[in-house]
Amino acid sequence: MNLDYLWHGFSVALTMQNLLIGLAGCFIGTLVGALPAIGPINGIALLMPIAYTMGLPAESTMILLAAVYCGAEYGGRISSILLNVPGDAGAVMTALDGYPMAKQGRAGEALMLSGLSSFVGGMLGALGLALFAPLLSGLAIGFGPAEYFVLMVFAFATLGSMVGSQPVKTLIGCTLGLMLATVGLDATSGAYRFTFNEPELGDGIDFVVLVIGLFSVSEALLMLEHQAVGVTVIRKLGRMTARLDDIRKSIGATLRGSAIGFVVGVLPGTGASVSSAVSYTTEKRISDTEGTFGKGDVRGLTAPEAANNATACGAFVPMLTLGVPGSGTTAVMLGALMLYNIQPGPMLITERPEVVGGLVASLFIGNILLLLLNLPLVNIFARVLTVPNWLLVPGILVLSIVGVYSTHASVFSIFLMLAVGMVGWLLRKAGFDMAPIILGFVLGNVMEVNLRNALAISGGDIAILFQSKIAIILWVLAIAMAVLPLVAGRRSKAKAPATAVSPETSV
Amino acid sequence: MSDGTSSSTWVGRIGGVCLLALAIAYGIGGSQIEYAFASDPLGPRVMPVLLAMLLAGLCLIYLVRPGTSERFPRGRLLARILAVPALLVTSVLLLEPAGFAISIFVMTVGVGWVFGAPLRLAVIGGVGQALLWWSVFAYLLDVYLPAGRLFG
Repeated sequence: MNLDYLWHGFSVALTMQNLLIGLAGCFIGTLVGALPAIGPINGIALLMPIAYTMGLPAESTMILLAAVYCGAEYGGRISSILLNVPGDAGAVMTALDGYPMAKQGRAGEALMLSGLSSFVGGMLGALGLALFAPLLSGLAIGFGPAEYFVLMVFAFATLGSMVGSQPVKTLIGCTLGLMLATVGLDATSGAYRFTFNEPELGDGIDFVVLVIGLFSVSEALLMLEHQAVGVTVIRKLGRMTARLDDIRKSIGATLRGSAIGFVVGVLPGTGASVSSAVSYTTEKRISDTEGTFGKGDVRGLTAPEAANNATACGAFVPMLTLGVPGSGTTAVMLGALMLYNIQPGPMLITERPEVVGGLVASLFIGNILLLLLNLPLVNIFARVLTVPNWLLVPGILVLSIVGVYSTHASVFSIFLMLAVGMVGWLLRKAGFDMAPIILGFVLGNVMEVNLRNALAISGGDIAILFQSKIAIILWVLAIAMAVLPLVAGRRSKAKAPATAVSPETSV
Repeated sequence: MSDGTSSSTWVGRIGGVCLLALAIAYGIGGSQIEYAFASDPLGPRVMPVLLAMLLAGLCLIYLVRPGTSERFPRGRLLARILAVPALLVTSVLLLEPAGFAISIFVMTVGVGWVFGAPLRLAVIGGVGQALLWWSVFAYLLDVYLPAGRLFG
């Protein structure tokens, strides 16, 4: 197996500048994750344009954003444990056993243990990514336009069946994203589509504008309604070391959580909220013989925490090798690559090894940094939880304005961001998830271009979409992904109600 | 069914009708895109028309079963929520004439106040944030931000 890209990546990630950028990213990421209102997508959406306008090279920006992503998965556990309010969607399950532990005066132990299992999950996930990425991109090199088009269909089918509890809304979200992607100049025919003679729309709707509007602005509006009332931070942390017994007890849970997390992460479109829920329920089924889950069982704490960190790494696999993001957050990172005019796909690993390798290497380094940051500094991060919304929300809005203005220096784009934010708020009120819209938007152009290229090759015969073996396999998988959950759902409906997977934004 | 859920079902349905209208408008717009040539058999119109049909179909399913949605805010809460975009619009209009620092000050004080801070604290927070962000972006990170025509 050719791992040259990884060694090259370490030489990129270990330069002084990139180490410092990674450290800053880990720190910011943990803060972003710890704050209940903002998750990794918000953090990345706000940092991406600023990093770009600062003139950071692509690999440094990717290292920064990846560090924020992983840091947020670490940070999310802090507010889950101390506040019983998950810091991001991946930390929902962490609260189930983490908060009871904190109430028993074992908050410090819970933070340490979950920090360790986050580390194991993150490291195993990074290892899986490093080994799996060259394999998958090797497979995908044979993809032509037809296979690519079917791959996108597969990605949407997975998404529709797995994100949130309301598949129709997810699919509507994808379609809206695909529609937004058609705005602007059509490169093949030179036609302007849906630009309404507005020159600023000629290049299409800007990714930064869309992401910041959908996530940050709408989030600020939602926070006004969801102002947390009556939650108290648990201040008494207790002993700040993990017991050897507990570590021994949670090894199995951590390893299983990591494996589940990685696999779920690799599937397109599913993120940490799904993987942590799956790993928690699996662990409960395997280990909960005495009914201690939900009452402060360390295995219920460590399994989902390992899973959400492994998922963050797994989600990079399809993003870096196929150009199909594995989660909402990686969809935003894919958009960041496009800011740099880098077209993701199976060739990326050979054409830009410094970007792929640097990112993968930075995940290993980042996890070590995060462990070092998180164990001693957990007190400082816990204090962040007390920042009041009236300071926090204006801060988020300032960053939104700066992000959009710095990439365009135009007031029009800020107004567009506000409009998008209002629509996003309405959609979120109606129970729509924002991640599918971003996914549709990011994949929209690639999907259309590949479909049209495929039909140009075949002279308009749609049979080309069903000709190759790979395409047929992908069609079968797509149909299976769309149909199986419906069948399984109908079966389990008779049993207990499905585990609550919150259709939150930060998948 | 409780009062809250039934009213939110209606909110969902209204949204569904809006989306359906969007699908129709988008489809009509898509079928009339003007182009001189196309180097591929599909051309620029087919994808938008297909997407419009897909969205319309999904909307019909959604209208039958809108699922759950949150209760829509009313009264004072709605006014406070709408105040946020209004404040943002104001500060964006101020951005180029009055400069980044003043525009940010106005927005942070206003939004801080809407989020329940006493006015005095909101003003202190606003001064602090305006100074903080201006120095971080303009000096530390060297990001271009307007200084304001009124002063330049």
